[in-house]
Amino acid sequence: MKDKFLINIVPGDTFLHKLSGTTKVRLFVALLVFITMSFDLRLILPVFILTLIGVISAKPNWKQVKLIMSVVLFFNLLNIFLFYVANPTVGEYWCGQLTMLGKLNNYFVFPVETFWYLFVRLIKMLTNFMVSLWFITTITPSEFAAGLYSLGVPYKVCTVVSLGFRYIPDIARDYENIKISMQLRGVEMDAKRTKITERLKQMVLILVPLIITSFDRVQTIANGMDLRGYGRNKMRTYYCEHESTKADKIFQFLTLILFIFSIGYIISVNVWPPQTRMWCPIVWR
Amino acid sequence: MKRSLGSLLLGKWDTPTVVAVAIGAALFGVLMNYGSITVFTNTRLTTAMLVPVIVGGLFGALPAAVACFFGNVFADLLGGWGYWFDWSTGNAVLGFMVGMLPVYGANIKEGVFNAKHAVIFAVIAVLANMIAFGVVTPIMTMLLYGGELTITFMQSFAASLSNITVLILAGIPLLYALAKRYAKGTNLSRE
Amino acid sequence: MKQPLIEFKDFTFRYKSQTEATLHDINLTIYQHQKILILGASGSGKSTLAHCINGLIPFSFEGEIKGSVQVAGIETINASIFDLSKQVGTVLQDSDAQFVGLSVGEDIAFSLENDNVLRKDMLMKVTDAATVVGMQDFLAAVPYRLSGGQKQKVSLAGVIHEDVQILLFDEPLASLDPAMGKTAIELIDDLHNINQKTVIIIEHRLEDVLHRPVDRIILMDEGRIVADTTPDQLLVSNLLSTYGIREPLYLSALKHAGCEVLASDGPGDVHTMDLSRFDDQLKAFEKKYVASIDKQYASKLIEVNHVSFAYDKEKVLKNVSFDIYSGEKIAIVGKNGAGKSTMAKMLCGVIRPDEGHILINQSDYRQMTIKELGEMMGYVMQNPNQMLVKDIIKDEVGLALKLRKMTEEQIDERVNEVLKTCNLYSMRNWPVSAVSYGQRKRITIAAILALKPTVILLDEPTAGQDYRHYTEILSFLEELHEKMNLTILFITHDMHLAIEYTDRAIVFADGECIRDDQVYRVLSDPEIIERANLKQTSLYSLANRIGRTPEALIDQFITLEREGKR
Ligand SMILES: Nc1ncnc2c1ncn2[C@@H]1O[C@H](COP(=O)(O)OP(=O)(O)OP(=O)(O)O)[C@@H](O)[C@H]1O
Ligand SMILES: Nc1ncnc2c1ncn2[C@@H]1O[C@H](COP(=O)(O)OP(=O)(O)OP(=O)(O)O)[C@@H](O)[C@H]1O
Ligand SMILES: [Mg+2]
Ligand SMILES: [Mg+2]
Repeated sequence: MKDKFLINIVPGDTFLHKLSGTTKVRLFVALLVFITMSFDLRLILPVFILTLIGVISAKPNWKQVKLIMSVVLFFNLLNIFLFYVANPTVGEYWCGQLTMLGKLNNYFVFPVETFWYLFVRLIKMLTNFMVSLWFITTITPSEFAAGLYSLGVPYKVCTVVSLGFRYIPDIARDYENIKISMQLRGVEMDAKRTKITERLKQMVLILVPLIITSFDRVQTIANGMDLRGYGRNKMRTYYCEHESTKADKIFQFLTLILFIFSIGYIISVNVWPPQTRMWCPIVWR
Repeated sequence: MKRSLGSLLLGKWDTPTVVAVAIGAALFGVLMNYGSITVFTNTRLTTAMLVPVIVGGLFGALPAAVACFFGNVFADLLGGWGYWFDWSTGNAVLGFMVGMLPVYGANIKEGVFNAKHAVIFAVIAVLANMIAFGVVTPIMTMLLYGGELTITFMQSFAASLSNITVLILAGIPLLYALAKRYAKGTNLSRE
Repeated sequence: MKQPLIEFKDFTFRYKSQTEATLHDINLTIYQHQKILILGASGSGKSTLAHCINGLIPFSFEGEIKGSVQVAGIETINASIFDLSKQVGTVLQDSDAQFVGLSVGEDIAFSLENDNVLRKDMLMKVTDAATVVGMQDFLAAVPYRLSGGQKQKVSLAGVIHEDVQILLFDEPLASLDPAMGKTAIELIDDLHNINQKTVIIIEHRLEDVLHRPVDRIILMDEGRIVADTTPDQLLVSNLLSTYGIREPLYLSALKHAGCEVLASDGPGDVHTMDLSRFDDQLKAFEKKYVASIDKQYASKLIEVNHVSFAYDKEKVLKNVSFDIYSGEKIAIVGKNGAGKSTMAKMLCGVIRPDEGHILINQSDYRQMTIKELGEMMGYVMQNPNQMLVKDIIKDEVGLALKLRKMTEEQIDERVNEVLKTCNLYSMRNWPVSAVSYGQRKRITIAAILALKPTVILLDEPTAGQDYRHYTEILSFLEELHEKMNLTILFITHDMHLAIEYTDRAIVFADGECIRDDQVYRVLSDPEIIERANLKQTSLYSLANRIGRTPEALIDQFITLEREGKR
């Protein structure tokens, strides 16, 4: 459990790691807005490539990343497949026309536009994933909290992020121990041998003590924090949040430009009734 | 001491509340990863749903919503199936509604939880799922990923069913147990 | 000049949820630069008293207050907890709960962050504080990579930048291995001497605190101060036994030798106390010593053969071998993270060896399922809350039997029998949540015993318990051992437990089993003590002072203690 987090607790030492939390959180938010607003491959693809480079430059733990990538790819492919099954002519809505390549029967037809739409959607979802992967692999929870704080989120909410991460390993360890003690007393944990209702009952058996031990420490932790002045002021500073370097300033400037562009794009393309809903190279108008 | 509806919904946000929300979110993240059974793509029968029940019962609706939102983010960060902000938002709304326990008089800290509360809780659990995953999540999905909601609705339906199952079958006994625990053991005598 | 720093005047406090007051008529004055130890049984109000000093009462705990408390001239009832935190630095008992940062540096900086200190000023202060406690090289370390002792040091560093006058420690030793505990006491003493702090320590482990001198000891019982005196006076009075506090081992040994110790001998410190008066008695005592004979056991129950295991890449157990005979009482000792709990999990079959094998009654245990092993091997975890799942005591004890599909009558019979042995029968219908920690521990033991195991494994059975509860649990196990020929394995950091209740010690260090021998031999071997982070008990120091071999003295002491208990 301990080392199996994707997010680093210990700050890394590559270029992206060294950016401040503020910079990273802002860039992340801007990129998410950017990816979310658009279905235009010409806008999405560059982000996909850049974030992929970002992830590679951060030298993550490849074994984990590969595993997660394959899981995500699998689920997204499945999702895309289900999308197709749900409506094979969905491309018409997006591209305004249908060009048939062939068909299986009257329902399962093969229009180019549908495939194009599904392809773009897949890339969009993968880019979305890449953006978060880049973010997770280069930030620490404390920087995350500091970055949120810099966006004006109340610090009590930011504390939830860092404090939550602090106690995840402890809770996971408790979970493991409780499970062991139940197994030794004869609770069958093998998924194949038990029915769903039975498994739900067993989960409750593990959960009750887990919840009680977890919430039992709330008062002690809160006392410890009060004694060190938590909540004394309206504002706070962050130990992990270093002053902006030159690189931070450049990135923040770029983020700002990206953000302004996105706002403009949303107003001009998304809100104003669009001509065509997505850019589609085979539709010439 | 009577507290206004607003303060019951928003919670006090003193240090214990902050800590409880953080611990709740961490617990949510852990349970999403260890304490769940997959029933449909991206949808699991998960005991993490009990977190808003407890945080809500003890601290109010908004703390429950925040715990759910960050809990979902933690779960995504730990498990790594990408980010699904549409679902995080849905979960936050669900957390808020499920966490409204103090509003209708269920006061877990004082040991007050009875059959009437259980019924209201069950009704709200159903409504909350309908609103969270039938309305909020599809709207978010539409905004985030655009169009085509069939899949989302199918997932929503599965998620709602599994959540309702967990909330009612496990949540209500848990609330009874917690209330009993907080009520002082009275009239105990050796036999 | 003696300057009063903390003053309680006719102080009484009642928690809102209690009907009776928890502190009664407290009158107490603590002066600048004193070092005070507060002793008392569990529930006697020590922590409550501490909360009145650091401001948690009334800030965090509601209740009714009569009388007054002044800390550095501030009346605490009117002060905010934040003003008080500039005067009083508190280190709580549970270092895991107090460690809120994601790294050492961050945790030390926590109070500075809250104070809105600029980061560039913060860095220096954090390094300074870390240097005071010797953690300056660990600033980037994450909490779960630290040992309990290191966490404790970090908690300490986190409260000293305010230039507080008073340092308050609530049970600083509870979770530490013996060597770490010793370091902690030395560190606290240095803060007292070098940094001129007023120090208040709350602790059950008298002998360990007395490793460095204290000025005054305050003894509490049921919310009242029953003694306020010097260590020398207290140690020769009969107050310790009256209020259930364990006497230091060297004093018990001297008593066995027939020495009548007086306050004027300076009994507070084994290294400096005057022993010249007792020459004759000690000589006679030495003559009486007959080396004990190692017990022989007939049947080999468990054989661990060259076992290795790794959770991830790194081996946590390396080529471990030992045997366990039926009816033995064994202590498994060693430093934090040495692999003791891992070994226990392996014996229960939750994890299985990567290399090597384990034989139970001569047959390979790989064929046995966890369930089957669970019937034979009972594992009582350190934290009872991780094991208790039912509301009612009776159901909890019967749970495992129910899961094994026994009939109602069979279950009832077995459960009642076990509850009677464990002295819980009269409470069988109580909710589990209504009993104390020590009783909960006993319920978990009962739940395990209901399965009629032949071996019972107890992980840290006595951590954080006062001497009275501790004795209660252990004499109960002793009784079972006699009655049912139970084989008992204790995993423990408590050398007293090892000395008093076990015959053999298996010592772990960094995944290896480095020694397997009689307890008195292990505890008198400096090399093993060093490698396994154990601590020389005060008997060892006493032996050196009176010119005897530690091995002989400890052996003789153990024999006498056992006879005394019969
Ligand atoms: N928050 C609380 N609310 C109500 N009663 C409490 C609270 N904390 C402690 N008490 C009660 O006050 C009494 C004294 O408790 P306290 O924690 O001061 O004991 P202690 O001497 O520190 O014991 P220990 O050695 O076990 O820590 C106990 O009977 C306990 O039940
Ligand atoms: N579930 C786990 N997964 C991975 N590593 C683990 C796990 N449990 C323990 N470890 C590691 O194995 C090593 C031995 O741990 P173990 O709990 O056996 O030590 P211990 O001797 O019981 O220590 P303590 O005295 O602190 O209880 C430690 O380095 C620990 O970090
Ligand atoms: Mg205490
Ligand atoms: Mg252990």
